[in-house]
Amino acid sequence: MAFRGFGGIATSGLIAAAILWSFATTDVEFSRLLSAGPRIADFFGRMFPPDPTVMAEIKKGSAETLRIAILGTLGAVILSVPLGILASETMVSPAVFRPIRTLLAFIRAIPLILVAMLMVGAVGLGPLPGIIAVAFHATGMLAKFYAEAIDGVSRAPIAALESAGAGPLVRLRYAIWPQMAPVVARDTIFRFELNLRESLILGIVGAGGIGFYIQTYVRSFQYDKAASVTMAVVAMVIAIEAINVALRRRFT
Amino acid sequence: MSTAVEVDDLSFAHTGADLPALERVSFRVSAGESVALLGPSGAGKTTLLALLDGRLQGWSGRVSVLGAPLDPDRPPPSARRPDTGFVFQEFALVERSSVLRNVLNGSLGRMSPLRALLGSPTKHDLEIARTALADCGIADLAERRVDSLSGGQRQRVAIARCLAQEPRLILADEPVSNLDPARACEILALLTGAARTRGATALFSSHQPDLARRFAQRIIGMRDGRIVFDVPTSELNDDATAELYREVGPIPGIGLRAVS
Repeated sequence: MAFRGFGGIATSGLIAAAILWSFATTDVEFSRLLSAGPRIADFFGRMFPPDPTVMAEIKKGSAETLRIAILGTLGAVILSVPLGILASETMVSPAVFRPIRTLLAFIRAIPLILVAMLMVGAVGLGPLPGIIAVAFHATGMLAKFYAEAIDGVSRAPIAALESAGAGPLVRLRYAIWPQMAPVVARDTIFRFELNLRESLILGIVGAGGIGFYIQTYVRSFQYDKAASVTMAVVAMVIAIEAINVALRRRFT
Repeated sequence: MSTAVEVDDLSFAHTGADLPALERVSFRVSAGESVALLGPSGAGKTTLLALLDGRLQGWSGRVSVLGAPLDPDRPPPSARRPDTGFVFQEFALVERSSVLRNVLNGSLGRMSPLRALLGSPTKHDLEIARTALADCGIADLAERRVDSLSGGQRQRVAIARCLAQEPRLILADEPVSNLDPARACEILALLTGAARTRGATALFSSHQPDLARRFAQRIIGMRDGRIVFDVPTSELNDDATAELYREVGPIPGIGLRAVS
């Protein structure tokens, strides 16, 4: 799309100013970039060969990350059912769904890692702050998806049940739920995948899972061990993606 | 004979519409009668039926259904709603649910919300649903999912759901507009027959004069939101029908002609 007229010129000017400002005030020195090559080579050099003796830690960390993702998703589903209903224009009045939607947007705007740090401060180290953080963070998206699933169903069967004298919850159960169930299943699996991926790094702030070992080994300069854990993480991400592709085929 | 529907000087306009959808409509339907609302698209038939079902508010006039007056500002109490059954033009079925489940849905209004949510259907509910399915000739389709059915089969499911509601008044909005003539006759025979055997009143809309004549005892002609005639079927003459469907004049400002 081409920029046109005064608005276009103003927009281009703003973008150029933002780029120049970023260069001028961040110390981007080309000499440092040029000397980075050997340093990175040295870093990778110390990572090889990856130390295979950390298999036990990898297993323990991965299992914990998986548990954080499963329980975090469960928590998000439990929170998202009522919040999704309250954020749906089919089920409640604008006086209810507007503030709830604003609240969900606010939750989505807080990065997971920030929530995790706050939770570590609140409940201490370990997987518990990770689970709470994932549940809280994921609710912002999942409740919105559930509300959209409710609002996306065909209205006619709802009107038919209302005409037959069925109340709102009975309509939700028999007219809305059968229509939205496959959407809810797909959205929940999608969110679980994101949760699993995002929980991989939670250990870096002490909120449990495999990230803890990466951080520990990097801090103690055991790059060969850090390399093994990193490779395990990459393998897990690829595996999650492959499972997701297979699942998506089933739901579309 | 008691009165099932009593409408006096009823007017209604959809929000934002320039012209009223219904203008000073008055008529009466006796209990047990089968009456057809006849008229071209846009005559106000759907609006009138939805209003009698308690789904439209903000009208003026007096309307009373099965002896109880409707409130122009709020829907009727849910306890009264099962008494009025509605067959929707586009069926309004839950596509992913089974035929039996859809028919059982008709009886949900008669239960307490808690039992409707948590309880499985009782023997009594199942018997009513099975009878409705048998009356509509689709007992063998009970376990099929609605999205695997044809249009005619769906219409039978929609009628069966309405019957499972055990209504005393059946309102049907263009119940046969999507069907071929042979199927249309079957469905209307089924609908009016089921109403008769249950002692229920039937009010259905149609834009096909032949079908209205064949299946209604009385015909109410509508055009532009008004009642043009209201006669026993035997007294309906072709001139009146022709008048109902006469070509509409040019619509000012649009430059199109609506043709009957």
